[in-house]
Amino acid sequence: MHVSRAARLAALFLIVALTCVARVSAHDIPRDVTVQAFAKPEDHTFRLLVRVPLKAIMDIEFPRRERDYMDLERIDQSLRDASMIWLARKIELYEEDALVPEPRILSTRVSLESDRSFDSYEHALAHVTGPSLTNDTSIFWEQGILDVLFEYPIQSDRSHFAIHMAFDRLGISVVTALRFLPPGGVVRPYELEGDAGLVPLDPRWHQAVLRFVTLGFFHILDGTDHLLFLFCLVIPFRRIWTLVPIVTAFTAAHSITLIAAAYNYAPGALWFPPLIETLIATSIVYMALENIAVVTPQRRWMITFLFGLVHGFGFSFGLQHTMQFAGSHLLTSLLSFNLGVELGQLLVLVLMVPALDILFRFVVAERMGTIILSALVAHTAWHWMIDRFGVLRQFPWPQATAADLASGIRWLMALIAVVGVAWLLSRLAARKVPNPKSQDPNPNIGI
Amino acid sequence: MRKLARNRAVIVGASVLGLLVVLGIAQAVLERTADAQSKTAVQAPRFEVDPLWPKPMPNHWVLGQTIGVWVDTDDHVWIVHRSSATLADNEKGIEKKTAELCCAGAPPVLEFDQAGNLLRHWGGPGAGYEWPDGNHGIVIDYKGNVWIGGNGAPDSHILKFTKDGKFLLQIGKKGARRKAGAAAGNQEGQTAGFVGGSNDPISFGRVAKVIVDAKANEAYVADGYLNKRVAVLDADTGKMKRYWGAYGNKPDDTPLPAYNPAAKPAQQFYNPVHCADMSVDRFIYVCDRVGDRLQVFTPEGKFVKEGFFAKNTKGSGAVWDIAFSKDPQQKYIFMADGMNDIVRIVDRQSLQELTSFGDGGRQPGQFYGVHSIAIDSKGNLYTTETWEGKRLQRFLYKGMGPVTKPNQGVVWPGSTSTK
Repeated sequence: MHVSRAARLAALFLIVALTCVARVSAHDIPRDVTVQAFAKPEDHTFRLLVRVPLKAIMDIEFPRRERDYMDLERIDQSLRDASMIWLARKIELYEEDALVPEPRILSTRVSLESDRSFDSYEHALAHVTGPSLTNDTSIFWEQGILDVLFEYPIQSDRSHFAIHMAFDRLGISVVTALRFLPPGGVVRPYELEGDAGLVPLDPRWHQAVLRFVTLGFFHILDGTDHLLFLFCLVIPFRRIWTLVPIVTAFTAAHSITLIAAAYNYAPGALWFPPLIETLIATSIVYMALENIAVVTPQRRWMITFLFGLVHGFGFSFGLQHTMQFAGSHLLTSLLSFNLGVELGQLLVLVLMVPALDILFRFVVAERMGTIILSALVAHTAWHWMIDRFGVLRQFPWPQATAADLASGIRWLMALIAVVGVAWLLSRLAARKVPNPKSQDPNPNIGI
Repeated sequence: MRKLARNRAVIVGASVLGLLVVLGIAQAVLERTADAQSKTAVQAPRFEVDPLWPKPMPNHWVLGQTIGVWVDTDDHVWIVHRSSATLADNEKGIEKKTAELCCAGAPPVLEFDQAGNLLRHWGGPGAGYEWPDGNHGIVIDYKGNVWIGGNGAPDSHILKFTKDGKFLLQIGKKGARRKAGAAAGNQEGQTAGFVGGSNDPISFGRVAKVIVDAKANEAYVADGYLNKRVAVLDADTGKMKRYWGAYGNKPDDTPLPAYNPAAKPAQQFYNPVHCADMSVDRFIYVCDRVGDRLQVFTPEGKFVKEGFFAKNTKGSGAVWDIAFSKDPQQKYIFMADGMNDIVRIVDRQSLQELTSFGDGGRQPGQFYGVHSIAIDSKGNLYTTETWEGKRLQRFLYKGMGPVTKPNQGVVWPGSTSTK
């Protein structure tokens, strides 16, 4: 069989192509990459120190010597290329919402993976601008670390900055640990996953408010169990003035525990999240059963308040990783998150109440409808409760120390005080609003 | 009627206030007690087993005797195990073609991330080096290189690889300790056919573990199952720089009588010399496994002190491997003891045992031949088990707490108290 010249060329091309593919695949995209960075504005420059594993740098050839050890005396240009292509061009820095021009690369270094200079800005800066490693140190090229010092021109170190670090293509899972050091000695740490978008560094209060209101709004809409609890609350109460104290009690209660958790007053033990999740499911079951058993539940706001305390801890679990974006506005952000939750609740109520009205007017009688809907909710929540309790029971009862008991008593005292105040307020309210049953049915008699 | 209601309100209010006062007093008393307890009680790190780590491996892979563990700078956990060579036929049905679905030995070197996923896996014979008959001990050095020893009968060498398994260096030659004309053997501790060479400047005698001192770029070799020394090498070239035996003596390979707890401590190491680790203040801690002792040296080999542990333990001994705690002073030593199947928590300065955890068995938190131990940057411990243990476990660091028992038993999840 005659093989044409074109076929031979094609075969040769295929072999070369496959060889290239094999070479490329020899350096796979790393699974987990951690990037460390310091950002520090000083006068008219914004210094950005970045540390990234060399294994995350693709398509850059680093000069090597025997056994694929890096040739550290000829490596500078490759490091600069890698820094520009894989880092600088993936970073956008904004000063007062205006894009800052591309940075200068002031220095690059190869470091050992055991180097700990990036434990502080000062150590990192001294390391990156200090002496380089020489060929006396044998480092296999994929096991080195690239350290870079970038410098951006800025108008003022007091400006408001925002940064977008699109490092998501450095690995399958990329985490950027960024520490921002504005003038004044504060350090703001951020842990950004993949491409986290534009991050305001030291955000202004309205940026924090917007972020956390949005977060709270979508958090409640995503939280099926919170929504079911709300649904149970409103089935028997669909008039706005009867709903106001109930929803207010829920809001006040979950705000208390959410803020307490944000200030580290919640237990940090492993059993605490499953306990809260179980109690949330229990709260739904209770509400649903009360709807079935009692025609017009009395003092629902009080039990709602108690369960609201539990739900607040539940909200806090969803907020833990996001508090880094609060900057110096921790309390504002927490209150904004609550506001977002309330807005989400209001939206749900606005849709839910008329829907229930229509249902009870045209489809099923109110009492029967209340029982059927509550039974369905109770059924679902019962299964959640059992499942979550199954998780919780894997944790044996902790051996309580004196410190634990003291902490428990503190919480109990706080709870009693809150209930006492609520009871006092309810008495005062009852005194101002006369009880119709106690009024004289015919006041004119005897005149 | 109104007066009755008012009286009731007063009684309720007073009761609530009274309850708050009582609780306040109780809380103050308990806080004082807790404060006193924390000041007087000996504190030690607390741990809980993480029963869901690591995740199952792919390809129906199982572990053989798992005889080395290390945590690298990314907090990835590396182990070395003996794979199919230590699996019974019914554990490797796929390899023996007696089963369709279960199982096969995993490659000898495995890397796990913090989520328990298996990442890189490699190892075994290859071009340019001699893979040990009984791979033993794994360490990732400060440059990210992987060091492996070996305690198979002819193993008298050390291997260095990249994390991807690319061969970098072999120090010593396999079979160097074989007596002239002796047949090959493969039993742990076998001496027939082989002879110790604790003064050999080139090769070793069944190396248990190698660590690397970043400051001096020197490798410290626990040498080993046949030799009776700590050897110090240039970590790049493998050139021998110095070595020493027990108490800093010149090592002597004359066989020692069986370990006797009542006898005067031997002036040479027993076999195996099972670990040699460097503390942050640059002392070398050496595990004399069968001698139930941990000896401490300067980097030059000058003897400093020693501590004995479970001194009546015979057989395979009580001091198998150590890891230092992650506080800046490395206040504690965590010591694996595969005969008593516990992990000891030892005060590093006094070498006094504070407490221990674990028990024999196969459930999470128990051990069957706990062989090696390592620690990550958060203070979590990792253990591997040899013999029929054949597994890797993680123990989560739960902060400091007062020591209440000499042995805590199995540290089940939730067994430590709240924050």
